[in-house]
Amino acid sequence: MNARIPCADRTGAPIGAGIGLRTCHFREILRQRPAIGWVEVHSENYFCDGGQPLHLLDKVRECYPVSLHGVGLSLGSAEPLDREHLARLRRLVGRIEPGLVSEHLSWSMAGGRHLNELLPLPCTDEALAVVAGHLDQVQDILGRQILVENISSYVGFQQSSMTEPAFLSELVARTGCGLLLDVNNVYVSAHNLDFDAREYLAAIPAEAVAEIHLAGHANLGRMLVDTHGAAVAPAVWALYAETIARLGPRPSLIEWDNDIPPLAVLLAEAAHAAVVMEGADGIAA
Amino acid sequence: MASLLDLQVAFAAALLDPSRQRVPVGLSTGGRPAAEGFGLYRNSVFGNYRKALRAVYPVVEALVGERFFAHAADAYVGVHPSRCGDLNRFGSLFADFLRDFPDAAGLAYLPDTARLEWAIETVFHAEDPAPAALVALSRVSEDDYPGLHFRLAPHCRLIESPWPVDRLWHLNQPGVPWDDDFDIDAGGVLILVRRCGFEVELRRLGAAEGVLLASLVAGLTLGAACERVLERDPQAAIAAMLRGLLSAASLQLAAPAQGLPDGQH
Repeated sequence: MNARIPCADRTGAPIGAGIGLRTCHFREILRQRPAIGWVEVHSENYFCDGGQPLHLLDKVRECYPVSLHGVGLSLGSAEPLDREHLARLRRLVGRIEPGLVSEHLSWSMAGGRHLNELLPLPCTDEALAVVAGHLDQVQDILGRQILVENISSYVGFQQSSMTEPAFLSELVARTGCGLLLDVNNVYVSAHNLDFDAREYLAAIPAEAVAEIHLAGHANLGRMLVDTHGAAVAPAVWALYAETIARLGPRPSLIEWDNDIPPLAVLLAEAAHAAVVMEGADGIAA
Repeated sequence: MASLLDLQVAFAAALLDPSRQRVPVGLSTGGRPAAEGFGLYRNSVFGNYRKALRAVYPVVEALVGERFFAHAADAYVGVHPSRCGDLNRFGSLFADFLRDFPDAAGLAYLPDTARLEWAIETVFHAEDPAPAALVALSRVSEDDYPGLHFRLAPHCRLIESPWPVDRLWHLNQPGVPWDDDFDIDAGGVLILVRRCGFEVELRRLGAAEGVLLASLVAGLTLGAACERVLERDPQAAIAAMLRGLLSAASLQLAAPAQGLPDGQH
């Protein structure tokens, strides 16, 4: 099954299916060198000045394209971005030369306090201006395009004046950013906030999507929670297949952050994504 | 309509409210109770904080138990809110918090244990050791040695405690059996927390070496530090101690230009 996954391309551009790489799997990845297209890590975990984790990431970077995925920049905060955080991100980007750099459409800081959580934004003109301004600043400082990811939402805001796809489309138009489309997050938010996931996906500007995320969620009964602690749900695989049929193949990533399973399980999930993409290639041909 | 700033400040205040009951106004939730969705964020936020502390302070958690640790972690958030988007830095003040935390007052050695664990965490991720300072020292005239200043390298920390927290730490590592002879009142220690390659090692310093290192780190010149060591132990092998610290790159020459003869800057 793994042989179906496109082999690592060291030029730096993620291609095909990849996995979110967590500490427990670094040594195994370096020893086995499985045929995955790329790996993604959380940027903040490598903001340090040295030591083993950074060293291992350097080693992985010698074998695989790497994507840096930030969880703490707080693009959507009404307050200014943390300059030290940005400086550390720039230093890491300079060191790793990642194929992709991404952040979330969310906020996590207010009044100088960090909640360290991906919190939802109201889809308003004011929020749009704030995020666009911060994106301009980040892309300027890093000297490259970054991708913005839709999050899982558990509440929305009465003051929202546009849909999230409309918000993201306008963000792309204003800043030239790309999109990281998390299909599981669309599924979870659609369930929780009672909108149609397929309508959402159809309204996303196809050409802007440079990466796709897939992960597992938990069903609490009335609400779904984005736990990153299970296999991708069948309904999410179905949405993913429809999305790939519309967009064509895009670098697709399996994320798993809680109750992390053996590496082989992650590779099998990635292989599944690769099969879906190959199927879409066949249709396109 | 609330501004984005007002909305975020109110959302954050409700999330961190000690009552755990507040829900901000203006939410829309697809027909479900707003408290349900908002509660998921609250649980996640406090869960993330606890997880971040648990990752850095496993020995403190082993000493006080899971439930007390969670209680302390939640109280810590109220006293020292997270000030950084990098959750790995959240626990930097946990030792200070424990020192002043009335509920932990009975465990006097707990703050120093936390200080040791934070030092281990910091050293693990610190800048990689630079080439030994002996090279820089070889360019200094021996006549200038007494005036030299040194500083601790980034991959090293000194921890002083009235309790043998290094031994306590060791006895709480996974798979290490408890030692019935361990005595928490066995006396104070000065510990050099240092990274060797990628591994962190704890080295308890002897009396003379402890005075030497502590004096240098406090900013004394090498000459003044040596006097202090000799007051403590007239027989101390200072040259060997200093060579050991320098060749292990634990010490760096501070402002080396001060110690260099003209023309060799």
